[in-house]
Amino acid sequence: MAAGLRPGRALLSRRRGALCALLRAARGLAARPETHFGFQNVTEAERREKIYQVFENVAEKYDVMNDSMSLGIHRVWKDILVHKMNPSPGTLLVDVAGGTGDIAFRFLNYVRSVRERQLQQKLRNHQNLSWQEISKSYQEEKSNPLGDSQVVVCDINKEMLKAGMQKAQHLGYSEGLSWVLGNAEELPFDDDKFDVYTIAFGIRNVTRIDLALQEAYRVLKPGGRFLCLEFSHVSNPLLSRLYDLYSFQVIPVLGEVIAGDWKSYQYLVESIRRFPPQEELKAMIEDAGFLKVDYQNLNSGIVAIHSGFKL
Amino acid sequence: MVRAAEQRAAPEPQRGGGGAQPGTAPPGTGGGAAARGGAMLRGCGRGAAAALRGAAGSRRASGQERQGPGPGRPLEPSLLRFLVCPLSKRPLRYEESTNELVNEELGIAYPIIDGIPNMIPEAARTTRKRPPAEGSEQP
Repeated sequence: MAAGLRPGRALLSRRRGALCALLRAARGLAARPETHFGFQNVTEAERREKIYQVFENVAEKYDVMNDSMSLGIHRVWKDILVHKMNPSPGTLLVDVAGGTGDIAFRFLNYVRSVRERQLQQKLRNHQNLSWQEISKSYQEEKSNPLGDSQVVVCDINKEMLKAGMQKAQHLGYSEGLSWVLGNAEELPFDDDKFDVYTIAFGIRNVTRIDLALQEAYRVLKPGGRFLCLEFSHVSNPLLSRLYDLYSFQVIPVLGEVIAGDWKSYQYLVESIRRFPPQEELKAMIEDAGFLKVDYQNLNSGIVAIHSGFKL
Repeated sequence: MVRAAEQRAAPEPQRGGGGAQPGTAPPGTGGGAAARGGAMLRGCGRGAAAALRGAAGSRRASGQERQGPGPGRPLEPSLLRFLVCPLSKRPLRYEESTNELVNEELGIAYPIIDGIPNMIPEAARTTRKRPPAEGSEQP
């Protein structure tokens, strides 16, 4: 009798096992490293590879495409990010996924102008300076215009970094600027090093966002700030429909016409839709250990700046 | 992956004293000549403007002059303060002869190409004959 029952039980357990596997497959993320590339489902390794190729293809035309797709508004978004950061001279910034250096250059400009204003203020307050002291103060400004501020641009894609270095050369940025080829999920930096960590339009392309957030927490000094500028979700239904129309009908066409690459820009638009909305990203940032996490919607949620502190 | 051997160079001695601008030679960034051609035209105009604007603090020596894809540039000394091995988070040693950042414990070396250190674990070269104790993990 027991013998008769045993194979029956074995059969049942096997069927249960198969059912469990099916449930797990349906749930997806927990068991296997399956993830998405735009609207396709791919493995994590495939996703990394595909994203690398996307940015390898678009690197040269990246800035031009940004301008044409966002009608130049992306510059305003990045300006707002740096203004929100409000860096003072002496700040150490790590700009992850910073490819072509947009945030880094703005940071350097901002810090330079703050420093100039500081020195001018100092001069104005000391009215009885001798000629010698005044010229020494001007020399100070000349020899240390950034006030020891530094920015390290880290990106996983070589082509984007090369494009960024060339841009830096043309625009005349050299001091206080370094470039590193690295993975946001595994940063090659020591703990407690940086004052500010920014990732602008990059976290969407990271495969394991939780790892990137943990690394961000690790490399920031206590008191350091995490800033993330990223496309997000529009809640207004009318605007959302217009945005969808623009995204799916206009942007890939622009991609084809300007960069000769429909697929990469199709990926871009799809990846925006797949990215978690504001509240979910806020929860993920809090999970990584950041405090006082908040977000600011720009353009009704087309773009959002998330901010958190390591306290 | 580009091996460090291809980019063997005698690194120029870095004279980065205080805040003074190091007069490094313009980088030999290898790359598509076509891309650079178009970028150069745009860059020439902006380069001139930047030169005029940057009269107070002279930046690059001459952005126009371009050497061929020359030997890899040495690493900026300020970066060494921050860089550690991405796998073990341990400090690295800068090896001048091969222009690499070496992690002794794991026996791996990260190449520096055109002044950009390549800190992706897959790009690292093993320095020992046998594979390192901790295999290079997937990020």
